Amino acid sequence: MSNGHSLLIIVFTPIICACILPVLGKVSAAFRNYLALAAVLVSFVYSASLLPLVYKGELATFTVAMPLGFDFTLRADSLAVFMACVSSFISVIIVLYSFDYISHYRNQNEYYSFVVLFLGSMMGLVFSGNLVFLYLFWEITAITSWRLIGFSREKEHALRADKALLMTVSGALLMLLGFIRLYLEAGSFDLAAIRLALQSQSISGLTVGLILAGIFSKSATLPLHTWLPDAGIAPAPVTALLHAAVLVKIGVYAFARIFIVTIPLDLPWKTFVLVLCGISALVSAGAAYRETDLKRIIAYSTISQIAFIFLGFACGVQIGVAGALLYILMHGLAKAGLFLCAGIVEHNAKTKDITRLGGLINVMPVTALAFLFCAFSVMGVPPLGGFFAKYMVFAGAMEGSSFWIVSVFLLGAILTILYLYRAFSAVFLGELKISASREGSPVMVFCVALFAALSLAGGILVNYPGVLARYTAQQMLSWAR
Amino acid sequence: MVSLFILAPFAAALILNLLPKALTHRLAFWVAAGLALAQAALVAFHPLLFWSAYPDPLGPFFNLQFSLDGLSLVTLLSIAIVVLATLVAGRYTITEESKRFNFTNLVLITLMGMNAVAMTTDLFSLYVFLEVCAIALFILIALKKDKLALEGAFKYLILSAIATVLMLFSIALFLLLSGGVSFSVIYGALSGSGGGFLAKLAMGLFLCGLFIKAGLAPFHAWLPDAHSSAPSAASVLLSGMVTKIPGAYILMRLVTSVFPLNPQMQNLLMFVGVFSIIIGAQGAFYQHNFKRMLAYSSVSQVGYIVLALGCGTPLAFAGAAFHLFNDAISKTLLFVNACCLEKETGTVDMDKMGGLGQRMPITNFSCLVGAFSAAGLPPLAGFWSKFIIILALMQAGKPVYATVAILASILTLGYALVMQRKIFFGGLADGLQQAKEAGIGLVLLESALALVVIAVGIGFAFMYNNFMLPVGEIVF
Repeated sequence: MSNGHSLLIIVFTPIICACILPVLGKVSAAFRNYLALAAVLVSFVYSASLLPLVYKGELATFTVAMPLGFDFTLRADSLAVFMACVSSFISVIIVLYSFDYISHYRNQNEYYSFVVLFLGSMMGLVFSGNLVFLYLFWEITAITSWRLIGFSREKEHALRADKALLMTVSGALLMLLGFIRLYLEAGSFDLAAIRLALQSQSISGLTVGLILAGIFSKSATLPLHTWLPDAGIAPAPVTALLHAAVLVKIGVYAFARIFIVTIPLDLPWKTFVLVLCGISALVSAGAAYRETDLKRIIAYSTISQIAFIFLGFACGVQIGVAGALLYILMHGLAKAGLFLCAGIVEHNAKTKDITRLGGLINVMPVTALAFLFCAFSVMGVPPLGGFFAKYMVFAGAMEGSSFWIVSVFLLGAILTILYLYRAFSAVFLGELKISASREGSPVMVFCVALFAALSLAGGILVNYPGVLARYTAQQMLSWAR
Repeated sequence: MVSLFILAPFAAALILNLLPKALTHRLAFWVAAGLALAQAALVAFHPLLFWSAYPDPLGPFFNLQFSLDGLSLVTLLSIAIVVLATLVAGRYTITEESKRFNFTNLVLITLMGMNAVAMTTDLFSLYVFLEVCAIALFILIALKKDKLALEGAFKYLILSAIATVLMLFSIALFLLLSGGVSFSVIYGALSGSGGGFLAKLAMGLFLCGLFIKAGLAPFHAWLPDAHSSAPSAASVLLSGMVTKIPGAYILMRLVTSVFPLNPQMQNLLMFVGVFSIIIGAQGAFYQHNFKRMLAYSSVSQVGYIVLALGCGTPLAFAGAAFHLFNDAISKTLLFVNACCLEKETGTVDMDKMGGLGQRMPITNFSCLVGAFSAAGLPPLAGFWSKFIIILALMQAGKPVYATVAILASILTLGYALVMQRKIFFGGLADGLQQAKEAGIGLVLLESALALVVIAVGIGFAFMYNNFMLPVGEIVF
């Protein structure tokens, strides 16, 4: 089987399964769950199987010609495969966690269907070699996350889901306008063709601004971030999937795909991105420090951490880009772990208000430890994975941007330590306030422990993902030249 | 050969009324639905050449000329699908048998009128057949015969009469200027002289008449009233097709083969288009009545078509024709949803609904598909046509119009979400404990239409190559 076909399998196995799942769920719930897991697993396995190929420097492509230059092109390069592996791997664990967490909710058929559809469209987005289909899959992820946030269908949930959808779609429509302008300037929607066409000339600032609006709305960067904390009302696996692992990384990925690999940013825009992200990192870290809702704290933390990834990419230096890639992986693992821990806390203690929680380390020791390790990774404590990613990002930023920007981010990193420590101590340390709480179910605890272990292993064995990230960064920057 | 599309519905309506009632009351639906189905199948599976290969027997007899091109084919296909949906919706929502029989007959007459409009080649018979549709529609709107229904029908009657006068006067002026009413004669005369004041007046009057009939802003006031008082099944026809015939098809025909586009008219069309898009979308936002919301949405969507026509490039025309088809399908779908909701809840007031998503999952899903397609969310059908229109606008150097058009999608999405939240989300509203899916016929219909929207979205290349490209080509 050719590599083009494995791309098709990666993208369409989840999408087709998503259509089957609701029907299957009427027959057998267990079978439905396993099929959902299998669909995500297939995507992961096939993505991973492309790794050797792309690290030999080859590309896998699949193209169907369409009228008007809307060719359906799937193209796997090292950046796409890296991103696909990270998101599908985290999704596998999240689906596994859902088996228990979701089991007492209504509309489970819908839940699994949309989670799997989300992953499929995410894979489509990652591999799209054409801006039209990038946009198409981008919007499918928005629709699925709308339904997942408003999963319980209460009025409050529906309102917040609507807010998230309206904000991301507004941004995406501006981005679409930017794509059309790019098309008019370069004469093609195909990313490879755009790269060739615009090699020697720069593009207009308005186009860049429009595309950035879409990217920032999706990755919840200030001032388009407000939907993300509100979306924390969704079930924990959903927030883990949307906030931590996958959805917010779409914006980051699109940034790397468009503004590093295809059309490098010019200096004023680069500075704009860096400054905006610096502010975003500080403000959201401050907000996280003030919040009392555990999930909102972690959500603000995500906004803050995303800014670090942008920093790594935008500085345009190899070690920074490699660090940003590593950051995507490490932050995905650790943040998914944190959200799932928060899910266990909410599930068992029936509240996520940290002022009413405390001393939970006595009743749920494994969850507490997992939370601690994941938090250490996000803080950047050695030897966890997050440390290496943060270090590389800062090293790149020192080389590729100014001292002042680095110091702003450094302050953001210090705040990270503060607010995560505050959250941990308020929830897990001190005196036990809610005595009825107990440890989560084995599958759920296994999943959070796995994320914590992976965060630790990612640090100790950082060489393996590090080599991939470094190689990918090298490739990305060589294309950009 | 093509006059079959006109003769068959006409003959069917005649025969159904001549035969004994006991027989025809049962037969009427099947005959009409069969005709619509046959039309859809014939148009979808036969290329343009097939239709021009056979001489037309009716033309010489009545001294009428009919012809078919890519644009007519798209329109005929849309008409067939909408009429079929209307008939099915009517069959399951209009309970009284004699009323249902009248309904079917009126739909047949509208079918005949619309088909003829889509194929005629002279301005006067275009006007005549447009009136045929309008008259059938007055009765359809007033079918309930209560106060509201009569009021809605009366409003439409008066405004339609004004439109009629404007159009008739304009036709007289054209006759004066060119000595004939057929498209080619007028085109020849206008392009020769360049069009003086009278020509401009005639064009303006005709356009005004069309804008009224299409319910474009600022002439849209009758449309929400007509929709909210008409039986839901008649709304399907009204919004799905009858307002799109003048608003999209005739306009497209006029600017391609009657009076050539000039910059002034382009600006006028684009302005009216954008104005309708915004007024319609904004009006829809504040509605509590589901059908009024859809009516405003219809104003806004026809605005996109007119905007694209004003742009005037082949790509824009292709986009306009595509949007004509897509919006016909998605609006039909949404009004069929309205039929289901009205049938189950006895109201179209969205404030009285709530939590119906659990009781009517298929209606919920199809309504979502229709609304998201109207909002232009991929991968549904509406995305592609809007995208093509906006691409064409940008290519033609109209970035402001493109930006407004693209941002209006946010408004569309906004009211689509309000609608979802009020009708389907939340807890089950009081008095709706009995609500369930509205019968197999309607459910099949809405799922079929939703499937069409999804399939056109996924297989857009097929639609574009087979139907939209020919439309773009006829223009220049």
